[in-house]
Amino acid sequence: MRKAKDLLLGTLLGACLLATLAIVGGLVFAIVHRGWPAISVSFFTEQIRLVGADGGIFWNLIGTGILLVTALLASAPCAVSLALLERVWLRSPQLRRLLRLALYTINGLPSIVFGIFGFIVFVQWCGWGKSWLAGGLVLAMSMLPTVTIVLLERIAAIPTRYVEAAAALGLNRTQIVWAVLMRQSWGGLISGSLLGLARAAGETAPIMFTATIFAGATFPRAVVESPVLTLSYHIFILAQDSFAPAVGTKLWGAALVLLGLVFSFTLAALPARLRQHEESNV
Amino acid sequence: MSEVPPILQIQKLEVRTHARLLLRNITLSIFEGEIFGLIGPSGAGKSTLLRSLNRLNDLLPGLYVKGDVLLRGQSVYARDTDVNSIRTRIGMLFQQPVIFPTTIRENVLFGAKRVLALGKVEQTVRVESALRESSLWDEVKDRLQQPASALSVGQQQRLCLARALAVQPEVLLMDEPTSALDPRSTAAIEELLLRLKTRHTIVIVTHNITQARRVTNSLAFVAIQDGAGEILEHGATKALLSAPKNPILADYLTHSS
Repeated sequence: MRKAKDLLLGTLLGACLLATLAIVGGLVFAIVHRGWPAISVSFFTEQIRLVGADGGIFWNLIGTGILLVTALLASAPCAVSLALLERVWLRSPQLRRLLRLALYTINGLPSIVFGIFGFIVFVQWCGWGKSWLAGGLVLAMSMLPTVTIVLLERIAAIPTRYVEAAAALGLNRTQIVWAVLMRQSWGGLISGSLLGLARAAGETAPIMFTATIFAGATFPRAVVESPVLTLSYHIFILAQDSFAPAVGTKLWGAALVLLGLVFSFTLAALPARLRQHEESNV
Repeated sequence: MSEVPPILQIQKLEVRTHARLLLRNITLSIFEGEIFGLIGPSGAGKSTLLRSLNRLNDLLPGLYVKGDVLLRGQSVYARDTDVNSIRTRIGMLFQQPVIFPTTIRENVLFGAKRVLALGKVEQTVRVESALRESSLWDEVKDRLQQPASALSVGQQQRLCLARALAVQPEVLLMDEPTSALDPRSTAAIEELLLRLKTRHTIVIVTHNITQARRVTNSLAFVAIQDGAGEILEHGATKALLSAPKNPILADYLTHSS
């Protein structure tokens, strides 16, 4: 009886594993299979033509890059401040729990909510119109919890003996923060940012009202009314509106590029995360 | 001895958590240039007492201290005392060497560079003098820029000592500094202690009676009495070890040597 149960459980778990692998594999296969014919040098270097049926995704890549760099630069200092606030400056456990709860709540917000929020605050209230800065800041908000929590866990994993040794030498709190805590956890900031960027790169809802248009934008030269083209919005519009067969290949090509971008961010974050696991085992 | 004021004076020190008393009514005087040993069974509160002297216990939430410690007459626990400057004047060496993930040179300068704001030239001078003082200079002078983690545990402990010495403390606290070391490294550290006492006052926690006999001038025996750590006997090392008055100490000595 017990053997039968074991066997049943084993089969079930194996099936779950297979299903997971099949989903990832199938997804990658479908996208590579259909998108690969579109990939060429000119696909990366040419701008969009014939409403997406011809040309490439040059300005979409640039635009996505601008949004991600902005999001990275805006989220990193906030994440460092929040993580240090939680780990060092907040003494009351209730306040710390509240901060963590707020981060998890932000993390769980639907991305369209960020989009609407950014639309009201930046586009309308600040009067920026559609702007790369608005999009970058909205993406920064959406990735902030990921970056903060990864950094925070990294700081929490630093053995207290380092803090004690530094304190015993007479270092004050600020010196300990920079010489011990941040020095030993900046890898967490990097891997957290990469994971956050991997998510932000594919976000469409937060930027469709705030930062991006389908065609006709190049490099932004101001803040107000300076939208960019992006990969995710490109895919969204092509998938929704176009039935021309030539568009199909370009669409899958763009999806493949986006997938590659996201995978490379996730993979780049991997070594730092594995190292952290090793250290916390000591 | 009574004309010279003690460098450290522990006055009716009491340490407790919410739930229980850890140390009761500790009163001790430690004089300049001596090696003062704290001995006693595990869990009696020797480390807690040691960490109360430089207020390192402040880092642990939920510990409360009553009474006071005077460093050359200055209150360590007064409200307006700058804790960090006290910790600079009272250095500490831990049971396990704590090496920062950086070079040997940066480890030596870790405190000195930040606390004393040394210039470039002074830093170089300080690295050498601290490493010489801790008998490590000859072993590492050619690889100061290499990671400190490559050193042996015994060398790492001497590196920690160099790091503590580099901020030029008046008192050095040591919490069983040789318990993680092999006999040879232990002998090296003990020899070092005897040399250091000409210029530093040392308070050392040790489990090892033989070590206490070899290096300390005075001893205090800390043991649990009525649920909390107390000093049951203290005095000159020789007298205390050869003719203990307290029966618990006498019992402890017969069982640990």
